[in-house]
Amino acid sequence: MKLSIFACLIFCAIVISADAQSMFRGNPAHTGVFSGPAPREFHGVKWKFPTGNRIVGSPVIEGQVIYFGSDDGNIYALDSQSGRQVWKTKTRGPVPTTPAIANGTLYVGSYDGNFYALDSKTGELKWKFATGGERRFEAKGLHGMQPKNQTIADPFDIFLSSPVVVDNAVYFGSGDGNIYRLDTKSGALNWKFKTGDVVHASPAFADNTVFVGSWDSYFYAIDANSGKEKWHFHGGEDALIHNQVGFQSSPAVVDGVVYTGCRDAQLYALDAANGKEKWKFDNQLSWVITSPAVHNGKVYFATSDSALYHVADAATGKSLVKEDGRAYMFSSPAVVNDTVFIGVTNGTLAARDAATGKVLWEFQTDASKENKDWVLTADRRFNAPLLFFDNWKEGPLVAQDRQLSVGSIFSSPLIASGTVYFGSTDGFLYAID
Amino acid sequence: MNNFEFTTRRRTSFLGFVIAALCSFASPIANTTSDATEVAPALDGRWSGKIQIPGHELTLIIDLAHDQKWSGSAILPRLNVKGAPLIDIKTEGADLSFAIQALTGPGVEAPKIKAHLTGEKLVGDFVQAGNTGRFELDKTGPPQVEKAPQSTPVAKEFEGEWSGGYDLPGYPRKVTLKLQNHPLQPASAEWVIAGRKINNLPVDRITQQGKFITVECSAFGISYEGRLENGELHGTVFQGPIEVAFVMRRPK
Repeated sequence: MKLSIFACLIFCAIVISADAQSMFRGNPAHTGVFSGPAPREFHGVKWKFPTGNRIVGSPVIEGQVIYFGSDDGNIYALDSQSGRQVWKTKTRGPVPTTPAIANGTLYVGSYDGNFYALDSKTGELKWKFATGGERRFEAKGLHGMQPKNQTIADPFDIFLSSPVVVDNAVYFGSGDGNIYRLDTKSGALNWKFKTGDVVHASPAFADNTVFVGSWDSYFYAIDANSGKEKWHFHGGEDALIHNQVGFQSSPAVVDGVVYTGCRDAQLYALDAANGKEKWKFDNQLSWVITSPAVHNGKVYFATSDSALYHVADAATGKSLVKEDGRAYMFSSPAVVNDTVFIGVTNGTLAARDAATGKVLWEFQTDASKENKDWVLTADRRFNAPLLFFDNWKEGPLVAQDRQLSVGSIFSSPLIASGTVYFGSTDGFLYAID
Repeated sequence: MNNFEFTTRRRTSFLGFVIAALCSFASPIANTTSDATEVAPALDGRWSGKIQIPGHELTLIIDLAHDQKWSGSAILPRLNVKGAPLIDIKTEGADLSFAIQALTGPGVEAPKIKAHLTGEKLVGDFVQAGNTGRFELDKTGPPQVEKAPQSTPVAKEFEGEWSGGYDLPGYPRKVTLKLQNHPLQPASAEWVIAGRKINNLPVDRITQQGKFITVECSAFGISYEGRLENGELHGTVFQGPIEVAFVMRRPK
C-alpha cells in the first residue's frame, strides 16, 4: 500500500514536472519557475535548428519533444536531444506566440486569425477556430512617429497572446480585442469577453479566474466559467503619442497577488480577489513588457528602454537588485533554482545569479557578434543615433527591422534537463548548455 | 498575357503588385531529381553558409542526400523558406547544380545554384532574378532533407462534385471541384475556375485533416481550404495576397 502511494506520488511528480513546461511561463499561473538542473556555466551550443523566419515566441517541451512557432508560419516539433524535426505544420501567418500542450493536443494561434488544435504527435489538424482576425496595436502619431495624423501599426507589438489550458478549456486573447474560452475537444466557443483594444498579453489562470490585460489600458479578472468580469484595474493612458499605455506583459498569479508589467512603465501588484493595487514599481517611462517571474517571495522582471534587470520584494515592491541589461528586454525571465535566464534584444541570452543578479555567463548570437551596420555600440547597446535618425514615414519601422537583424532574443527561455532552449530573430531555435 | 483572367485599369503600386501576383503563373516545374551518374558521398550532408549579396549576406542551408538518386531541400532564414525542395539536381564529379523550388514570382524563376566541391567547402553561385551571388558553404552535419507533403485520400463525405462561386473585382468566378479516391493511392481532383475563360487548374496536392480539406495548385499559385459543415464546403480561395471566402455545395 505504502509502495503504491509512493509510486503514485512519483508518477504525479513526473506528470506535474512534464506539464510544468508545456505552456507559456511553465504553468497556468505563469510563475516562470522551472524545475531541474540549470547550467551555471556555459559549455556550448548543443544544436541549433533553422526556420524560415524570426522566432519570437517561446518553446515548450513535453516528453522529449520541443514545440514552438516561427514567423515563417510553421509550428515545429523537434527532438530535444538531436534538434531534428519531428513534424511541422503550416499556418497562413506568422506564429509569434507560445503553444500549449495538453492531453496530446497542441494549441496555438497564428497571425492568420485562426486558433489551431493539432495532434502533438503528428501535427495533424484537429480543429481550428476563426477569431475576428489579428492586427497590431495602432494609433495616430504612435511613439511620436510622423506624420502625426497618420495611423501607425506598432512595430513593438511583437507577440501574439499565448494560450493557457486548464481542464477542458483553452483561453487566449486576440487582436480583435476579445479573450476567448474554447472547448479543448471540439474548438466550440464557450464564451468571449470583449475589451476595448488588442489583447496580445497572455492570460494567466488561478482560482477559477482568468487574468489578462488589454491595450485598452485595463487589466481584467474574468470568471472562468461564465466569462463575466469580476473586476478591472485601470493602468496609465497616453493620449498624446500612445506610448505609455497598454498591457503587453502577461501576468503571474502567486498567493492571491497578480503581478503584471505595463507599458505605462509600472510593474503592478494587484489583489487577485478585488483588483486593488497593493504596490507599484515605477520604471520611469520605460515599458515593462517582460512577464514577471515570481519565486520565493521575489519578483523578477526587466524593462525596455532603460534596459534594467530588476528583482523586487514580492510583498512590498521594494527593489532588491538592479542590474544593467544593456538593451531592451521583452523576453520573460525563467527562474531555475538559483539561476535566472533572460533574453536580450541585442542578441544575448544572459544567465544571472538569482540572489545577486550578476551575470554568470552570456551567449551571443553570431549575428550579434557580426553587428552589421553597427546596429549595436561596442558594448552591445543599441546604437540609437545610427538607428533612429529619421522619425518620418517608414524611418522608425526600418530602424526596428535593423534592430532585429542582430538575432534579438524575445523568446522566453525554456530550461529542461539542464539545457536552455530559446528562439532568436535570426531564425534559429537554440539548445545550449 | 495570361490564361487566368484578372485585369484592372487602376495603377496604384500595391494594386500593381497584387495584379502581378495574380497574373503571374510560373510554369509548372517538374520535380525531376536526376539519377546521379557518379555518386559523390562527399556531397551528402547539411551545408551551411552565406550568399554574398551587395550590402548583405544571406544565410543558405542546403540538405543533400543520396539514396539511389539525389534528393534535397533548402532553408533561407528570414525569407520564409524552410524545407523547399531542390529540383533538377545534377552532379558530375565534384560539380553540382540544382534549383530551389521557392522564391518564384511575377517573371522570376526559381533560384538556381551551381557549385563545386573544393576541399571541405561547397563553393558556387546563387542565381536569382538574373542576379548572381557567390556563396561558400561548410558541411555542418548529416542531411535533414525534408520530404514535400504528400496528398492523402479523402473521406467519403468529400468525394464527388462540388460547385460554388465568388467575385473578384469585376468578374464573377464559377468553381467546380471534383474529388476522387483511388485504391491504395491518394485522391485526385479536377478543379475548374470559370470566368471569362475556363481554367483547368493542375492540382498537385490534396490533403484532408478531419473536417478540413486543402487543394493546392502551385503552378497557378492558387489554393483552396474548406471545412465540411452540414453537407457544404465552407472555405477560402487563396491567390497571392487575395483571400475570398465562399461556399460550395453539391450540384442539384
